[in-house]
Amino acid sequence: MSDAPFKNPGWAGNTGEFDLTEADVRGTEFVGHRPPEGGHPAAAPSYPYMLADKAPDAPLFEGPYKERLEKIRGRYPNARAVLLPALNLAQEIRGHVSPETMDAVAEELGLASAYVRGVATFYTMYNKRPVGRHLIQVCTNISCNLCGADEVLAAFLEHTGTEMGETSADGNFTVVEAECLAACGFPTCVQINSRYFENVNEADVPQILDRLKSEEGEG
Amino acid sequence: MAYPYRHEKEVRLLSEHFGDLEARTVEGWKARGGYEGLARALEIGRERVVEEVKTSGLRGRGGAGFPTGLKWSFMPKDQTRPHYLLCNADESEPGTFKDRELIRWTPHQLLEGCLIGAYAIGASHCYIYLRGEFFEATQVLARALEDAYDANLAGKDVLGSGVDLDVTLHVGAGAYICGEETGLMNSLEGRRGEPRIKPPFPAAVGAFGMPTTINNVETLCAVPGIVKNGGDWYRQWGTEKSPGTKLFCVSGHVNKPGNYELPLGFPLMELIEDVCGGVRDGNALKAVIPGGSSVPIMTAEECSACSLDYEGVVECGSMLGCASVIVMDETADIVKQVRRMAYFYAHESCGQCTPCREGTAWATKILERIEDGRGTEEDLDTLLQIGDQMTGTTICVLSDSLAAPVRSSIEKFRDEYLALIRRGERVGAA
Repeated sequence: MSDAPFKNPGWAGNTGEFDLTEADVRGTEFVGHRPPEGGHPAAAPSYPYMLADKAPDAPLFEGPYKERLEKIRGRYPNARAVLLPALNLAQEIRGHVSPETMDAVAEELGLASAYVRGVATFYTMYNKRPVGRHLIQVCTNISCNLCGADEVLAAFLEHTGTEMGETSADGNFTVVEAECLAACGFPTCVQINSRYFENVNEADVPQILDRLKSEEGEG
Repeated sequence: MAYPYRHEKEVRLLSEHFGDLEARTVEGWKARGGYEGLARALEIGRERVVEEVKTSGLRGRGGAGFPTGLKWSFMPKDQTRPHYLLCNADESEPGTFKDRELIRWTPHQLLEGCLIGAYAIGASHCYIYLRGEFFEATQVLARALEDAYDANLAGKDVLGSGVDLDVTLHVGAGAYICGEETGLMNSLEGRRGEPRIKPPFPAAVGAFGMPTTINNVETLCAVPGIVKNGGDWYRQWGTEKSPGTKLFCVSGHVNKPGNYELPLGFPLMELIEDVCGGVRDGNALKAVIPGGSSVPIMTAEECSACSLDYEGVVECGSMLGCASVIVMDETADIVKQVRRMAYFYAHESCGQCTPCREGTAWATKILERIEDGRGTEEDLDTLLQIGDQMTGTTICVLSDSLAAPVRSSIEKFRDEYLALIRRGERVGAA
């Protein structure tokens, strides 16, 4: 442990007594490359990523994704239980879950279209319309709120030049308010696609946006 | 020292290896005494495993504090149909941030707990229901699970015992209510995460209509140590009725927020003043929410003699919940924070029960009006009345969870509401 506060690039802040790298904290080095076909069947339902590159018209459940869906099916006693993993998979490919996507999932699983829509619209993580390359979700719930989350949210909106929930003109950013992300000791917590950025204060915001712009195709 | 803050008063049974990278690997976990609990469980048999956990007095760490061994003993003994263990990793109670740390730093601790738990209740399949937002932690767990399968710690004929134990990671999609155990079961089944009426209880009719036990991540993480060292070993920490250690998630206005593992019964003020380095900027303490946003708020005075165990916090007028201690200093704006909580519950209400669906939205509107300086004193009576109608009248306790902070804040911080209502004066900055 060094005496100087360690500036952890993944956590944007410098509180705490870190001597870990960002890859250590995020676990990316340990996790390694994750195959699109889902790896071991036990873990196959756990692979939904939020990718910057989205293919809203891409076919669902083909090639490696078909393989992953079959692995997922094998882990549940009925087709209905495959619904959430299948919707996750669809969103990973297309970036959002349109009514047409819901219908396609319904057909694949042999469920009623109206039923799938009813389920999909219950859950907030299914984007019902397209979002930017980077979906920025700022927690403004109580613990983050006590430590300046409203200002962090305002800074993201200001620096991306967007209104809440709208996508920036260049298609890069969508900023929304999120409910508690379970990182309350590291306020403010901001989820950007698949990653958490913690201990974010309003002054960190331009730096984070620059970093996102400089990363190609990052999850 | 690797991980945010540690303190000499901690008893780190579960959190010893936070920030220790080798603990994420099978070999590293074994080198730290891991999977000995699983081996012992398979050796002594499921009934003795349940007995050890009963002896330990371990209570559910997800909020309700129900004795884990007792819960396991409710599972039917017959093996004529599948039994399921569900691990609740849908951590989403505002103020709580322990499960994600347990998953991403000690994935094998959780897997070992799941395997032992599944074995103990006669389940051959455990689903870990992970919060959808936990992409990073989930990938760490996924890798660890693949390693566990490769090492024959999961799957067919675990460790040559003849017992099959499967674990599947299931990822949710963003709904607070799925942390409620019956909502979680519905969500796992591919339905809307709407809680079910009990009875029937999950041990009789649970996931997929089969006998099911649902345990929190932290509960299952405590199990390997108990099975390995015996139930009496665990009782050397904590109190008679609340044995063992607990991860306290401290957030808000303290100098050193973070997870601290302490024996149950630890004094609240010592946690804030000593372990967490005191209230930030030397400010005065105003209020504490000791168990996540669903429990009654406590004044600084009520905190002074409070001990952090399930009974001790109840005596001081609140609940331990999942031990998520949210600290507010003198600059905190109570009305704003209660309004923010109300907004959260209104957003997350599943909408099945009228008192909750209507009550959370109505309370939010009134609180927004008060915060804007357009409230009346009668509004406070209305809020209390709504709170009464929201308590004990619904399928699950989400409704009660908003009523508690609303009622307690009006009773204990009425002056702050009145300052806004009468003079438009806002107390506090945040």
